Amino acid sequence: MSDTKPNLIATGISKRFGNTQALKDVTVSFFPGEVHALMGENGAGKSTLGKVLAGLHAQNTGTVTLNSRKLIPGSLDDAFHAGIRIVHQELAQCPNLSVAENLCLHDIPTKGLTVDFAEMERRAAALVHQLDPDIDVTKPLGLLSPGRRQICQIAASLDKNPDGSMIAKIIVLDEPTSSLSISEASILMDIARDLASKGLTIIYVSHRMSEIFTCCDRVTILRDGKFVATNIVSEIDEPTLVEQMIGRRIEALQNKSNGSNQSIETQALKAQIGTDHHTPVSHSGNPRLVIKKLYSPGKLDNCSLNLYPGEVLGIGGLVGAGRSELFDAIFNIDTRAKGSVKIDGDEILGKGIRAAIDAGVGLGYVPEDRRIQGLFFNLGIDENIIAPIMNRMAGPLGIRNRAAELETVRKRIGRFQIKTASLSQTTPGELSGGNQQKLLIARWMTQDTKVLLLDEPTRGIDVGTKAEIYKLIRQAADDGLAILLVSSEMPELLALSDRILVMGDGQIKGELTENQMTQTNILTLATKEKAHALV
Amino acid sequence: MTTANPAPKKSSTKPPFLKRLLAHQESGLVLVIILISLGLTLFGTLNPVETKNAIERPAGSQVLLLDAQGVTHANGTIARTKIATYRVKSPDSHTDYPANQIKNYDSTTDTLYKITKLNPFLNKSNLVLVTKDASFFAIIAVGMTGVIILAGIDLSVGSIYGLCAIVGAMILTNLPPDTGWIVAVPIALLVCMTVGTLCGFANGAMSEGLGVHPFVITLGMMAILRGLTVVIPQELFGTQSIGGFPTSFTTGFFKAEFFGVYPVPVIIMILCGIVGWFVLAKTVFGRRIFAIGGNETAAKYAGIPVKKTKILVYTITGALCGLSACAYLGYYGAAETNAGNAYELQVIAATVIGGASLMGGRGTVIGAVLGAIIIQLINNTLIIFEVDTSYNQIVMGAAIIIAVVIDQTKQRIQARRA
Repeated sequence: MSDTKPNLIATGISKRFGNTQALKDVTVSFFPGEVHALMGENGAGKSTLGKVLAGLHAQNTGTVTLNSRKLIPGSLDDAFHAGIRIVHQELAQCPNLSVAENLCLHDIPTKGLTVDFAEMERRAAALVHQLDPDIDVTKPLGLLSPGRRQICQIAASLDKNPDGSMIAKIIVLDEPTSSLSISEASILMDIARDLASKGLTIIYVSHRMSEIFTCCDRVTILRDGKFVATNIVSEIDEPTLVEQMIGRRIEALQNKSNGSNQSIETQALKAQIGTDHHTPVSHSGNPRLVIKKLYSPGKLDNCSLNLYPGEVLGIGGLVGAGRSELFDAIFNIDTRAKGSVKIDGDEILGKGIRAAIDAGVGLGYVPEDRRIQGLFFNLGIDENIIAPIMNRMAGPLGIRNRAAELETVRKRIGRFQIKTASLSQTTPGELSGGNQQKLLIARWMTQDTKVLLLDEPTRGIDVGTKAEIYKLIRQAADDGLAILLVSSEMPELLALSDRILVMGDGQIKGELTENQMTQTNILTLATKEKAHALV
Repeated sequence: MTTANPAPKKSSTKPPFLKRLLAHQESGLVLVIILISLGLTLFGTLNPVETKNAIERPAGSQVLLLDAQGVTHANGTIARTKIATYRVKSPDSHTDYPANQIKNYDSTTDTLYKITKLNPFLNKSNLVLVTKDASFFAIIAVGMTGVIILAGIDLSVGSIYGLCAIVGAMILTNLPPDTGWIVAVPIALLVCMTVGTLCGFANGAMSEGLGVHPFVITLGMMAILRGLTVVIPQELFGTQSIGGFPTSFTTGFFKAEFFGVYPVPVIIMILCGIVGWFVLAKTVFGRRIFAIGGNETAAKYAGIPVKKTKILVYTITGALCGLSACAYLGYYGAAETNAGNAYELQVIAATVIGGASLMGGRGTVIGAVLGAIIIQLINNTLIIFEVDTSYNQIVMGAAIIIAVVIDQTKQRIQARRA
């Protein structure tokens, strides 16, 4: 690799968005045959650099050359024809069209005046089935799980010449695994390696440290839009990378020999959150939440669990295992669910969402997708936080009590350190992803909340804010809140949870406690019995 | 990190009052109203309307023409410009009218005319007329604002209005003519608003219960209710128009005269606007409407009763159609089966001109009321310029498109700045 010449060179790239300097004089070279990671915290400019390379953004200064040819800044067309493909961070697809139509959207095959569906499906299948042979390309894309939707999009850049060689020379994968389960992610990484071995350059924009060490050859670190370093992965360790990313050294990460069989990554995280000496909550008292034989047609099958005050119960599993479905059933969003869900002995199933939230029951839910399921982008930060309990604070005739509202909002913003310019003038769209997520968790931090459901609480946010959120979650649990936590990020799940339940096929496949809580055990349980399509 | 940039502190550097006022959603609309009004006033000053009113004088009196020196001249012996005073002389007394007010004496009919020049726009009765015409659909637009903020639509408001009017008229026409307003008004309000409430509830319940887009439900309801409005009086009365209400209901209440004008519908509009603004801005119900319109899924996950709130908004809109229809009955003293025809367009136009987004999540009641007034001002402009009323629709359509384009451009610029 080192003796070949770089094919893609970005020189002196700068990019401004309004007042934000997203990139500042960044120079990086990429070689054929390497998986080259771009890393950094949120806002470090790694995604922006990927988009400049692919012609999605026009840089203000600097040049991108591919095989000595200068690319037209901001021209997706030019980059596309030169062989640069990008897989976006946000899913940009048409959920109402079939997988095949989505994959052939740029060049729909026709027969005379009509669409040649057979050819379209053949082409799409050839692309998709490299990654997942079980995807039905005639199905509307919207009916696929988020993981599979992501896979379809990655597949779209794998088109080939008639002779079987890849058309693409460079593939930019922008946070490709952020919505994938572990097994899907590992398949994706295999593919990235495989494509690189065929001579392609894979530019891998990611947050996930473990992926860098698993599948990348080199890693370029950006911080505040500036180039920090390009490292050869085999010659560097994690603390050094983290230091490069955040510009300060996280205190000693290595756990002493306490017989733990957890990964260094998890132990490091535990040390950071302060759960390294945390002993699991005792189960001597009455459980706060008791779920018995929860069933929902096609989604959940016979799920039972107990959750105790002060406990964080992690729920692991693959995408499509039924974890979010379990939460929707508990929260009464899934109206077809049957069985029993009791909080402090009161049955709440089938009584409506309001009944689950109201004082005395005190259920809260931070759903998976903060943009679609969480935030009101037309309302201020204050009303976003206060939404579920505004009626409880209001006076007669539902007239709002502004003073009480603002006091509550101020307290929660203070406790969660949400960075916002104003309480009522700022809308969530102006906040960073991390602050948006903190806002949603703060929404449920009422005195009445007894049980909190957290679904992927740190998806797509930067390392620093993640750590803050972990501490807040742990703190809330230590104060007596009972928390159910769904996470696809193994270190997060392992570091935060007192216990872990593993789900698969809508069932609870098993429970892991203390020293059993390892990534391997979770994966083993998750893939038990009925083998998952992706494994 | 993006959050590292300290955001400008808004509290410490408050922009000047005028700037804050201009930044308000409604200030643009007020500006438009002021501009149109100024233009019309100016035009009216240059082209005043002259009205001739005969001056009543005692029987047997005689009109004398006096010049500046007080010398009496016989009719026809003095040039018109030299007349200084018209003297109305009775056998025992006389009254003098200076010639600058009295412009005409018709000798053939022996009538003395008083001529007044009137600005066709800027006069009491025209201004009240414009707002009165706006008020009937502005009242409905208050409810429609809620519907549009929900990202919904209600095409049936014109038909609900018509049905309420016809049903209300059927009751009113059967009341004894000497019924007091204290009885007639509550009965009419009750009947009209009950019909409207039921229709609105049906809209909301059907679109939420059946999961059908409100466009379809209210499109169907628009036709059904208009059909009922025509069929019911035809079958029961064999007529297209029902009138003959107690006078206490018409001139005694909804068309009561104050200072020479009839302001009751306008007062109702203003009250509805204030209440509507209060509900949307200051109550939990109002904020829930915004939340649902901004992100319905998130509203569900935040425990907001989405269906209940939506049904209630449609129901209230129906009730306001009833209220408006009641005011219409009282003002005009009769109901026609085509009452409120094409009102849905005017109402939606008023709401949209007022800054509501059809994508939901945005809109103001005050804006909708101002939007309704702008629509009527445009109508009034055409009347004052003596343009054929058929041109109304063309101008109105253009006004809607221009208003929305301006509003969206403004939004885009604001978004780019943020």
